[in-house]
Amino acid sequence: MSVDDTTADDERKQPRYHFDRHTSDYRMRFEKITEEMQEKCPIAWSDTYGGHWVAASSEAVFELARCPHVSNDHDLRGERRGYKGISIPTAQRISATRGGMLEMDDPEHRWYRNLLNPYLSPAAVKRWEPFIDEVVRAALDEKIEEGRIDFVDDLANVVPAVLTLAMLGIPLKRWEMYSEPTHAAVYTPEHSPDAARVAEQHKQMGLDLVNSMLEIRENPRPGLVNALLNMRIDGEPAPDLEIMGMLGLVIGGGFDTTTALTAHSLEWLSQHPDQRDRLSRERDILLDPATEEFLRFFTPAPGDGRTFSDEVDLEGHHFNEGERLWISWAMANRDPSVFHDPNQVLLDRKGNRHFSFGIGVHRCIGSNVARTVFKSMVTAVLDRMPDYQCDPEGTVHYDTIGVIQGMRHLPATFTPGRPTGPGLDETLDKLQRICDEQELARPITERKEAAKID
Amino acid sequence: MKVRVDQERCQGHTLCAMIAPEMFQLSDIDGSSSAVTEVVPSDQEDLVREAAHSCPEQAILIEED
Repeated sequence: MSVDDTTADDERKQPRYHFDRHTSDYRMRFEKITEEMQEKCPIAWSDTYGGHWVAASSEAVFELARCPHVSNDHDLRGERRGYKGISIPTAQRISATRGGMLEMDDPEHRWYRNLLNPYLSPAAVKRWEPFIDEVVRAALDEKIEEGRIDFVDDLANVVPAVLTLAMLGIPLKRWEMYSEPTHAAVYTPEHSPDAARVAEQHKQMGLDLVNSMLEIRENPRPGLVNALLNMRIDGEPAPDLEIMGMLGLVIGGGFDTTTALTAHSLEWLSQHPDQRDRLSRERDILLDPATEEFLRFFTPAPGDGRTFSDEVDLEGHHFNEGERLWISWAMANRDPSVFHDPNQVLLDRKGNRHFSFGIGVHRCIGSNVARTVFKSMVTAVLDRMPDYQCDPEGTVHYDTIGVIQGMRHLPATFTPGRPTGPGLDETLDKLQRICDEQELARPITERKEAAKID
Repeated sequence: MKVRVDQERCQGHTLCAMIAPEMFQLSDIDGSSSAVTEVVPSDQEDLVREAAHSCPEQAILIEED
């Protein structure tokens, strides 16, 4: 590249902003950084992580997320254009598979989405409500007499994991084998002394996934694994690595995010007891908007990386093919041009067209699961431990929020109560039997009835 | 008032059905939305407006009379 090319390029890559999401500084200063960028440079170039654009305003995010010349592709083996998928920086750990359909463009992405839609649609998820409520009941019953609970370890980590395994067709009692490494992989930095141990746990989980695939291939049982194994594209099965990637996406996408949303919301409600009481009293009209408001404010999945697949012009910027882009759902969610008082949690907020499940064709396919599981957990806590108080001393937020804006621990105390049923292990045995007998994991096209829990 | 959901834009966020359940029906298969009737009854107008403002994809098109 000549000196002239470099200078022209430098002039084009403006304005500049030093943007590093993977620091605790970013977490602490998130609102200030957002205000600054939205005011001065809603689209900016950052030299961090090999250099990438950042879209920080709702308008830029809305346009770029829907732009047909912006690619999600992760070209692992350099067979296409070498694009690096949705992680900035490119994750070292997960290099054998790409992140399922989230790292595919259409038409490939569409094949997988069409396959999974009947398992995850609003109608499909609604059938699981009695099952979800029962897991929540058992998780709370484990702690209800003690008067102490950790909302992350004892509730928010448990329920999404159990439900996801049920939907996959994997035995429920293995939930911890999946839950632990999935969360740890998010909050453990790559250079941490724990990284090796976490990688090993992750590998064990991966092996169990592969074994489950082989088992279900031999002895089919309903669920997402079965659907992926039976998928045919022009008569050919989906490649095993893509199936693994999709399973990784469902697990990775579904566990930590719902946990993060629930933990942050319960913490906030504890800090605002009058709002908590109001939500409980008026839940018939407030639960839905409050859920959307917590999604907006806490944006568990804060953004995604993209690659420009063509030259694009937007808002006075010229983007070149191959350039990387960070689309910030979290910052768009705080844009005052869309959300008045953006940094306030308003449980009855109107016009809440938040970005937390993404925008465009890659809208989170688990969104209906997330909402349903969240509402079940929160209403149960409001009913069974309405006076809970979170303990700030033991509360642990993720140090950095570059990947998921999550929490590790949220201990709380409450006025003890009585269990209303069996504990978690016994309940999981019962639910496994019910799952198998009623074939709950079938798609909505094959089974319309809600789960019947005795 | 008339209302229509742009099927190209709709991605199944489901906010419209939460806000105006009598005016928007969701596909069992993928949660995509369509208007129950094109002409909006007067007692549903405010809810339909709110639904349109709440659609993350801006996929709901309203024609005010």
